[in-house]
Amino acid sequence: MSYNPLSLELCGVSLKNPVIAASGTFGFGREYAERMEVSRLGGICGKGLTLRGSAGNAGERVYETRSSMLNSIGLENPGVKHFVEHEAAFMRSLGPAVIANLGGHSEADYLEGAELLNEADIDLLELNISCPNVKAGGMAFGILPETAADITRRVKAISRHPLMVKLSPNAPDLTAVARACEEAGADALSLVNTFLGMAIDVKRRRPVFDNVYAGLSGPAIFPLALRMVHQVCKSVSIPVVGMGGIASAEDAIRMILAGARAVQVGTMTFASPNTLLEIIDGLSAWCAKERISNLQEICGII
Amino acid sequence: MAVIRSNHRIAAGVYRMTVSGVPLGRAGQFFMLRVSGVLDPLLGRPISIFGADAGTGETTFVYQTPGRGTALFADLLPGQAIDAQGPYGNGFPLESGGAVILGGGIGVAPLHQLAKELRASDPKRRIDVFLGFREEAYCVADFEQLSDSVTVSVGGIVTNDVDFSENAVYYACGPAPMLHTAAEQARAANARFFVSLEKHMACGVGACLGCTCETTNGRKRVCKDGPVFEYSEVQHVL
Ligand SMILES: Cc1cc2nc3c(=O)[nH]c(=O)nc-3n(C[C@H](O)[C@H](O)[C@H](O)COP(=O)(O)OP(=O)(O)OC[C@H]3O[C@@H](n4cnc5c(N)ncnc54)[C@H](O)[C@@H]3O)c2cc1C
Ligand SMILES: Cc1cc2nc3c(=O)[nH]c(=O)nc-3n(C[C@H](O)[C@H](O)[C@H](O)COP(=O)(O)O)c2cc1C
Ligand code: FES
Repeated sequence: MSYNPLSLELCGVSLKNPVIAASGTFGFGREYAERMEVSRLGGICGKGLTLRGSAGNAGERVYETRSSMLNSIGLENPGVKHFVEHEAAFMRSLGPAVIANLGGHSEADYLEGAELLNEADIDLLELNISCPNVKAGGMAFGILPETAADITRRVKAISRHPLMVKLSPNAPDLTAVARACEEAGADALSLVNTFLGMAIDVKRRRPVFDNVYAGLSGPAIFPLALRMVHQVCKSVSIPVVGMGGIASAEDAIRMILAGARAVQVGTMTFASPNTLLEIIDGLSAWCAKERISNLQEICGII
Repeated sequence: MAVIRSNHRIAAGVYRMTVSGVPLGRAGQFFMLRVSGVLDPLLGRPISIFGADAGTGETTFVYQTPGRGTALFADLLPGQAIDAQGPYGNGFPLESGGAVILGGGIGVAPLHQLAKELRASDPKRRIDVFLGFREEAYCVADFEQLSDSVTVSVGGIVTNDVDFSENAVYYACGPAPMLHTAAEQARAANARFFVSLEKHMACGVGACLGCTCETTNGRKRVCKDGPVFEYSEVQHVL
């Protein structure tokens, strides 16, 4: 068997490639497993969980904007317990590394959720302190370094899984939040979650979303996300997983050149479900063409 | 990737496109159509199956062009490719006995394939079709070939023509006010009635939860668990 130039290790977990389906864009893998070779992915990050689950937001939930979209799903999810009992084993059976994404409305929610997830066979816990679409909690935890560090420290203390903290691009001082999470014991960081945006329906002279503001994702945010990933990679020494608007293998290479060990792809999967696989193929082809024995060699050279 | 066989205007702002190279779907199912490689507009547009021809393997769509995404479809020429993901969603159930089909505007699209399947599954059943259009009728001849009667109303209220107390199963697709009125009438008459719903969609497969709708049987995704529902399940959102 020939050596796989895309393989890597992330927090002690072996991934066959650095391409991961982003949280909230891939369910728990079931829907896309029906229509693509999900086993080829490096990892799958499940839909954001909250302790007791949530019905999500009312009103319009998705709205296309230029080369991007706004979403106000509001973390609709079946709850941590349901995930542990009914989804985790299924995700494991698919093959890629299994990442659970945990959100919360309060510190107690996060802690109880993390405790329950100790029962689940997952590879990584992604702590979502960056969801802009829930009224209480969510992004509030990821805006200031002190609160981000505090929740990171507490979850790290009780979780048996490697902890990756997902950062919000809406933090006024992102690198300060990143450093605070590193100091608090995070094993890795992932960024970016969605940017807070807004849409207005001119005909009705009203905001499109009941929550007024919503999360922006997709190709349009790529240059912003790339800059933030670069800045965070320069500020911390733990691994960083980069995302935000990745649409091609070239974009993924850019993220890795900027310092990301691995990437997540979200919105492009909606537009074109094969994007994840095309990126993997593109990365392999690029390594062959550039005579790179392992893609990690170029990680962070910029 | 689908290849366009034909694509032409059939009424003001309404086009009919036939493609090959996609799996055949059922009445009520839809495809996410997108001009491949284009990032703006970004997302696929949900478009129903107007016709799925087992003989030629071709699928036909009838679509309006209210915005930028669909306007790009209208410019595509035969021989060009279009990204067509699907078929997605659950189709209309083919109940036995007589059928009454109620379409409003572009809502006629999935009902044509439905009439075809109803006719094929029971050539003797009675099929009555009611079509309502705001300004200009289209696809009427397509329905005439498949049904016992077609009643067309232009600029009127199509539900006024329908008697929900027949011994038949009712099917509808169309604008929200039409579905609302039809559901009220169906309830008053205690009729069996299936509707196809519309919601903004990002993925079309059930992964993004952008199209969730509260039903009497809990939260459902219009794209994956629908778009066809028994009206009583979704009456409060009609
Ligand atoms: C299950 C289903 C089947 C459909 N079948 C047909 C069909 O056979 N023929 C047809 O002409 N139309 C159909 N529609 C409606 C069609 O999807 C919209 O008209 C189309 O998405 C509008 O895109 P646009 O680029 O013209 O408009 P834009 O305003 O540029 O679209 C912006 C965004 O809003 C979404 N959107 C806008 N209007 C609608 C709508 N009415 N329903 C859902 N999403 C919308 C678009 O998909 C896109 O994401 C169907 C909708 C659904 C949900
Ligand atoms: C519809 C939708 C739902 C999302 N849900 C979650 C979620 O539950 N948890 C989370 O951490 N991020 C969530 N995200 C954010 C994505 O995981 C990702 O960070 C963001 O979309 C940027 O990547 P992209 O541009 O490739 O989509 C969601 C994004 C979208 C578009
Ligand atoms: S459109 Fe994504 S879940 Fe229905």
